[in-house]
Amino acid sequence: MGFLDQFWQLTVDGLMVGSLYAVIALGYTLVYGVLQLINFAHSEVFMLGSFGGLFTARALLPGDGSVPGGLASVGLVALGLGAGAVCGGLAAFTLERVAYRPLRRRSAPRLAYLISAIGASLFAVNLAGKEFGRQNVDLPDLFHNGTAFRLFGAAVSTQSLVIFAVAVAMLVSLDRLVAGTRLGQGIRAVAQDADTAVLMGVNVEQIIIVTFVVGGLLAGAGGFLYAMTFNASYSMGFVPGVKAFTAAVLGGIGNVRGAMLGGLLLGLVESYGGYLFQASYKDVIAFLVLVAILMIRPSGLLGERLGRAA
Amino acid sequence: MRRRPFLGTVALAAAVALSAAACGSSGGGGSSSGKETITIGFQGVLSGDNQQLGLNALYGMRTAIAEVNADTSSPFELKLVESDDAGSPDQGPTAAQKLIDNSKVLAVVGPMFSGATKASEPAYTQAGLLSVSPSATNPSLTKLGFRTFYRVIAPDTVQGKAAADYVSDVLKARKVFSLDDKSDYGTGLSAALEAELRARGTAVTHDGINPTKDYTSEATKIIAAAPDVLYYSGYYAELALLSKALKEKGFTGKIASGDGSLDPQYVAQAGKSAAEGTYLTCPCGDANSDPKAAAFVASFKKVNKGAKPGTYSGEAYDATMALADVFKKLGKGADRESVVKAFADVDFQGITKTVAFDSTGEVKGSNVFVYQVKNGAISVLGNTVDLLKS
Repeated sequence: MGFLDQFWQLTVDGLMVGSLYAVIALGYTLVYGVLQLINFAHSEVFMLGSFGGLFTARALLPGDGSVPGGLASVGLVALGLGAGAVCGGLAAFTLERVAYRPLRRRSAPRLAYLISAIGASLFAVNLAGKEFGRQNVDLPDLFHNGTAFRLFGAAVSTQSLVIFAVAVAMLVSLDRLVAGTRLGQGIRAVAQDADTAVLMGVNVEQIIIVTFVVGGLLAGAGGFLYAMTFNASYSMGFVPGVKAFTAAVLGGIGNVRGAMLGGLLLGLVESYGGYLFQASYKDVIAFLVLVAILMIRPSGLLGERLGRAA
Repeated sequence: MRRRPFLGTVALAAAVALSAAACGSSGGGGSSSGKETITIGFQGVLSGDNQQLGLNALYGMRTAIAEVNADTSSPFELKLVESDDAGSPDQGPTAAQKLIDNSKVLAVVGPMFSGATKASEPAYTQAGLLSVSPSATNPSLTKLGFRTFYRVIAPDTVQGKAAADYVSDVLKARKVFSLDDKSDYGTGLSAALEAELRARGTAVTHDGINPTKDYTSEATKIIAAAPDVLYYSGYYAELALLSKALKEKGFTGKIASGDGSLDPQYVAQAGKSAAEGTYLTCPCGDANSDPKAAAFVASFKKVNKGAKPGTYSGEAYDATMALADVFKKLGKGADRESVVKAFADVDFQGITKTVAFDSTGEVKGSNVFVYQVKNGAISVLGNTVDLLKS
């Protein structure tokens, strides 16, 4: 079976994973845009959101192992997404309060933020490991999963369709939020020049909090989607976190549309690469592409800065 | 200057902690009943994704120790020291060193995973400390000159061959996709499986993938190859994700795997529908359904707060009991060296098998069993010797 026979199947798989990377990558890019710092604890926001959504869905499921259908499925997915988003948002809010704001008040050097983030990340991982156990946790089927339709011969499952559709809906609404609302205007103003934004009457502190929370909402809901396919575990954040960070850099960190493009591209490259070479080289290929693109375009595909590009 | 009192507090706290620790360890040795105390170590996977397998073995060991200590005719009491290697080769030597440095430890049950065992054994051999693994099945382990290494489980050559026979004769597979996790355990098992399949003229596709979360492209690859049976040589956390990915993509072949995946956690993590029908081979019997092991199951549940024995529980129990047997024969004054010597000639009737070794350190006579996930539970189908006959 050659690569070309499987091309569309791999494309479908790659877009599904890539859309998740994109959703997480937005959290990195938004925070970088306003604060010029990489929030390395973002992967744990994703993990906590994932558990929040998973436990909510499990609690609402009938205990007999039957798969719900129809409106019940829609409701369960919506509630799971909502719970994941709320947990992610809360986690991001707490993170900003505990790990970042005290440093900002003291005008700490940049390195201190990094160490603070790593500390918060380690704490969250181990707390989750202690509370939720160190085994992978399965998210039971919330709807009848199977091939929804075929695209050029490639099977598109209901699940990947749901994941892709929800992820794209989130990406589009975020893009609208940043580009078209007053809040988005504030975010862009702070990103362009925080000092001038203050003079123009923008409440910078508030914008920073909102940025963290929006990133957390997306990551939390993304975590719930991720658990549908890949299960949840206390250590689940690290790899998708690194991938999403890569996606953000690939597209141009600080650039909202760049993060989306970077995520989808990374998903596709991984999917093709994993098939062409051994699956274990998937990560190697993804990072090779990153290095190659950064050599040609050092500021990413679409360039840096939230303010200018969005 | 403001920091001074704080530093002082830390120093004081450290001093208190240290002296408490010192008192704690000096309190050991003697015991209330006046019996001699013999300390044995456990090295295994007590954290990480495949922690359940480590707990299974540890609980089996605790059961054996509780039985020995409750036996008034036993001339000694056993004490357990645990050491966690997370199942990883990197952490193996450190975990082994912890037990070696504890001069009271006379023998060790473990290490558990083949990779960690390979990394840890040089230290044990150098220290002359006996280690009896309940679960490390990589074939090469007994051929590397580790004079202190024994295992109470058959190597993967035995399991791989039996699994291949079962897959081609009973499951009637013409085409098999053999996937391993590139670990010492996985590659050893897949090599043994593939050798036997090729010898029988069954078509084999081999692939290896390091443990990951995302098995979507691997699933696409497997489905494109359209095998009758996929045999995964690896552990349950990964097989669960692989099964989920295969089910989502509508894989119609059969899924099979080895002892590393034989755990109820596999079904819990894959979800009942993705795990349903999976075949699992293991050179280990199922204590829960073996009438001869009923006493062990009852005592296991009592010691471990109602937990049921799992994969490797029986093996760890047997390894501990065989050690106790050796200690009994050696009498007072046993040391590490005499324990290593005496263990080579052990002949002990355990619950999983007779613990006795041939000259290479392999356990004599061992059966491979086949299990299947039915209605969300793993149930035993039988011994491959019998299954192949029918």
